[in-house]
Parts: sequence; structure tokens; C-alpha cells
Amino acid sequence: MFAGAIALLFLAGAIALLAGRALYGDTAMGRVLVGVVLPKEDGLARQMVSMISSLDSVNSVCDFQYLEREESLEKLQNGELNAVMDMPKGLIQGIIDGSNPTVRILLPEDAWLESRIFRELTEAGAQILGASQAGIYAGNELYLQKDLGARLPELERDLNQIFLSYSLPREDYFRHLRVSATGDVEVPVFYGISAYVLFLLLLSIPLSGYLLPFSPVMQRKLALAGVGSISRIFGRYVSLGSLFLVMTTMAGALMKGGFWLLEKLPKGLGFPISEFFIKKEIGVEDGILSGMLALLILVLVCLGAAALAVVIFQAAGSLLGGIMLLFLVVTAQHFLAGGFLPTIFLPEVIRYLAPGMPSAILMAGVQMALTKAWSLAVTAKLLLMLLVCFLLTVWLERKER
Amino acid sequence: MLEVTGLCKSYKGNKVLDELSLKASPGECVGIVGSNGCGKTTLLSILAGAVRADRGSILFHGREAIGNSKIFYEEAAYVPQENPLIEELSVRDNLSLWYRGSRMRMEEDLESGAAAMLGIREMQKKTVSTLSGGMKKRLSIACALSNHASILILDEPGAALDLECKADIREYLEKYRKNGGTILLTSHEMPELSLCTVMYVLKGGGLRMVESGLGEKELIEMFHRG
Repeated sequence: MFAGAIALLFLAGAIALLAGRALYGDTAMGRVLVGVVLPKEDGLARQMVSMISSLDSVNSVCDFQYLEREESLEKLQNGELNAVMDMPKGLIQGIIDGSNPTVRILLPEDAWLESRIFRELTEAGAQILGASQAGIYAGNELYLQKDLGARLPELERDLNQIFLSYSLPREDYFRHLRVSATGDVEVPVFYGISAYVLFLLLLSIPLSGYLLPFSPVMQRKLALAGVGSISRIFGRYVSLGSLFLVMTTMAGALMKGGFWLLEKLPKGLGFPISEFFIKKEIGVEDGILSGMLALLILVLVCLGAAALAVVIFQAAGSLLGGIMLLFLVVTAQHFLAGGFLPTIFLPEVIRYLAPGMPSAILMAGVQMALTKAWSLAVTAKLLLMLLVCFLLTVWLERKER
Repeated sequence: MLEVTGLCKSYKGNKVLDELSLKASPGECVGIVGSNGCGKTTLLSILAGAVRADRGSILFHGREAIGNSKIFYEEAAYVPQENPLIEELSVRDNLSLWYRGSRMRMEEDLESGAAAMLGIREMQKKTVSTLSGGMKKRLSIACALSNHASILILDEPGAALDLECKADIREYLEKYRKNGGTILLTSHEMPELSLCTVMYVLKGGGLRMVESGLGEKELIEMFHRG
């Protein structure tokens, strides 16, 4: 049965990949289309934007369009632009005198990959500009103290050249940010989480015999012993969730063991992989509190997966029906949740549906436990998922009586 | 002593029990007969506390049980038609699961109580899935009687059992009754009904007392008589 499930899983995965390719084609990552709104009669601002757009780092990914404000906002709303740069009046003068008027960057509400890239570019640009200004002001002050005010223009010109030639390569040592379709985690970690959630949800198949609805006789006898439907469902959540947690612990131990082995390998072969996973994604310096929180979130994830399996078997009512329904629901919603292909590659309708899919909620929970980036919204979603599954199971059980 | 008065139960507007009354004294075996779907299982489930009545009164030894599930729990031992056993577990595990008392009391029961009389001790290590229908029924009765209740309620105890098992169960029920227990049972089989000291026909939501010792033909006539 399990082998059959794995074979079907591979089949479903292949279908999902092909479907994703058919839906999105080769345009997985297009160029970043940026609308630029310039103040009227500000030739300097236009000159600066054209200089920025000709920079290699910008030119390689961005296309700038000069538009009126209304038109740019309309295009942003329609999804024709990935970002809008609204330049204020006197921008260049402001940069020179240090008042730095704000350039408004407008991004769509659900910033997709292109928008995220542009956001990172602008943030990096602003950082470099800030550091450059500090360097120039420090030089200015030093020259004035040494009575070399006449040589200030020469200093600013030279500093600009020398500073940029150093600051950009130095930035590379401190700023390792990669914008990925898989969100805040690296691709291998994303697919590791996705595979773990899928495995957890399908793990109910070998346990299907225990997930069938209770027979009327068993229900009556349990009711006589004071065990009502709420206790019965809760009992199933706890037992199945505990088993999932044991499996999670075993998987975690295997992963840690794997890393330990990798560290024992010659440095060139094993060490970089281990370092990448442990130090950047899991975090060895975590304290007890954050470890406890991660465990709590994993418990919620396991209970969520158990709750989904219980409600599916309750709805199906039979062994074969339960297995079929579980497999279909799990694989379909895992695809919609972006578990096979990140949602960025899927049509817009699916992107809006994705955050509500059980797999998306469980994956967000696992990601939160791994990265320790605590989010109340994700925790609330996990709890809400548990509640919805619980209420549905109670309703289904009472309906069948 | 069991006294039932004015018991009513409807399912989706269909009256199954209508102002039903019944009495059963210690040492009595009350048989309830009727055609399929007349409400026998519903009546027994209500008397066992597994299903709620819409209206009426159920007194166990003078104590009102409706609205007080603890009294059902203490006074009634219910053996449903199907066995509420977990097939993958052993006989002993199933007994432990349903047993309403301490571990020590369970050991005593296995030594000399109802469980011993039903032969549970000899098969306690066996897995339930390997037992015959008769053995499962005996285990089911032993589980139900773990509260040492004075009223035993059985829904077709001999259904799907072989002749030998049926005879074993009858023998045990006879002993239970002679020891002062009250038995309420439904059945479609004459040898089981021959145990009954009082017999009722359930029809149109009410009970009608009939002479015990009636033959099959007379009973069938009673089912159809207005």
C-alpha cells in the first residue's frame, strides 16, 4: 500500500511540474518593470535616473518607463508594473545638501518575485548612498579643519570614485541576500520542508485502519463510559499527532546525524553543506526558549496534519474511500499551496488561494520553527486550521448518527 | 428493580417509542420481541443510557436515571448486538479497556467473578481477532458486567453464534438470574426466549405483555394483531 502511495506521489509530482510549466511557461522570472514618475521640469532627476538605469546591476534586471503618476499607479494595480519610483522635487540638491528627500517606492500589495528583487535593489542602493554621504561629509569636515576648503570639489570627486570602488566590493562581504522564488529560505530547505509536510500528511495512509469513523456500537459504549465525540476526536488528534512528532524527531535526528557525518568528511567535500544548513538555516546558537517555541510549533504542525487526516477519513467513511480521498486532497492542495512548484510560478488565482491551503499553513509553521522567525499570524493560522478541522469532524460525525 | 414510565422517542418526526412503560424485578428475565425495526434496539439503548429519551422516567432501584448518566453507568450492564471490541488487542487488554473498577477487582473477577464464570481467564492472552463469535460475545458480556450491575441488558445475545455458544450463554444468563440479577433481552430465537419469565411484544411504540411459553406461531400472530 505504501509503495503504491509513493508511486502515485511521484506521478502526481510529475503532473504538477508539467502543469506548472504549461501554466507559466518559460517566463518564470521576467524583467522587473519599473514606472518612474519625475517631477515636472527636473532635468537633473531625469539625468540621475537614466544614470542609475544604465548601471550593470540595474540594467541587467530592470526596465524603466517614464510615466505620469496616475498612469503609473493604474499600471501597478493592473499588474503591468512591478514597482513605481515617485521622485520628489529637488532630489539631487537634497542628496548634495544631505536633506535627502524621500523617493517613494510603490510595490503591489502581494509583492511577487520581481517586486521583491526591486525592493532589495532599492534598499541596497539607499544603504550605499547613506554610507557614501557619511564618507564625503567626514572628508569635508576634515578638510575644513585643516583649512583646505578650496580643495573640497577635488576631494568630493576623488572620494566618489575611490569610495564606490571600495564600498561595492566590501558590501559583498556583509550583505548576502538572495531573492528566491521560495521566499525566505533556500531552495533545498524549501523543498525539504515541502517533502516533510507531504510525508506527514501521507503517513496517515498506513494508519488508515485506525482512522475510520467509530462504529455506532463503539460510539454508544464509549458514550456510556463518558467518552463523547469531542474526547474521541481529541484522542485521535493526540495519538496521531504524537506519532507524527515521533517521526519528526526521528527525521530530525537523522538530519543531525547526517550533518555530523558531513562534518567528519574532508572539509572541501562535506563541511560547506553542513555549515550552510546548520548555521544559516537552523541556527546552533539558539537558546532554550526558542527551542521550546520551535517544539511547540512543530507540535501544532503535527496536530494540524493529524486533524486533516481525521476529517478526511471521517468524510470518506470507508477504508478505501478514505485512502483515495486523502491522497487526492493532499496532493491537490499541496500543489495549490505551492509545495511542488512555488506559487510564484502559478497563475494569480492560485496565488490567492495558496495561503489558505493546509500544506501552505503547515509549511509556514515548519519554516518558522526552523528559521526561528516567529510570526503570530502563522501560529494563529495553525490554530485556526486545527479548529476548522475539529469542527468539521464533529459536524460530520453528528450528521452520520 | 427497574421501572420505566411514559418513555417517548422519535427519529425525524417518526415516533419509535410512545408512552412506553415497563417493570422488571430482581430475578426476572424480561424478553422483548417484535418485528424488525419496531424499536427494540432503541428501547434497550435508552435503558442502557446510550441514547437519550425525548421524555419519560427510568428508575433503577428508585433512583431516576434520566438526566443522571452516573446511575446508568452504575446500574446497567449493556451488551449490544455487535461486539464493541478492538480486534487487534488481546482479551485481557479489551477487558482492561472497558473494565469499570480497580486492577485488583479485575483480577478477582477473573479468578471468581463474572469473567471467571464466562471463561475469560483461560483465553485472556489471545488476540480478539482469533476468537470465535461465541468467545467474543462472552468477552463482551464480561466487559459489560465489569460494573457488577444488577440489571443486564442484552440485544440479541445469540445472534450469529453456533449452537454450543448459544447454550453456554444461556447457561450463564440462567445463573445470573438465579443469583438475583435482572435480565432484559431482545431476541428472535425461541430457545433464548424460553429463558424469559416475562415477555412483551413491542408494537406501535408500546409494549404489550404476553404469556411466557408461547410458541413461534402464536408470537408471530401477536406481532400482526392490532
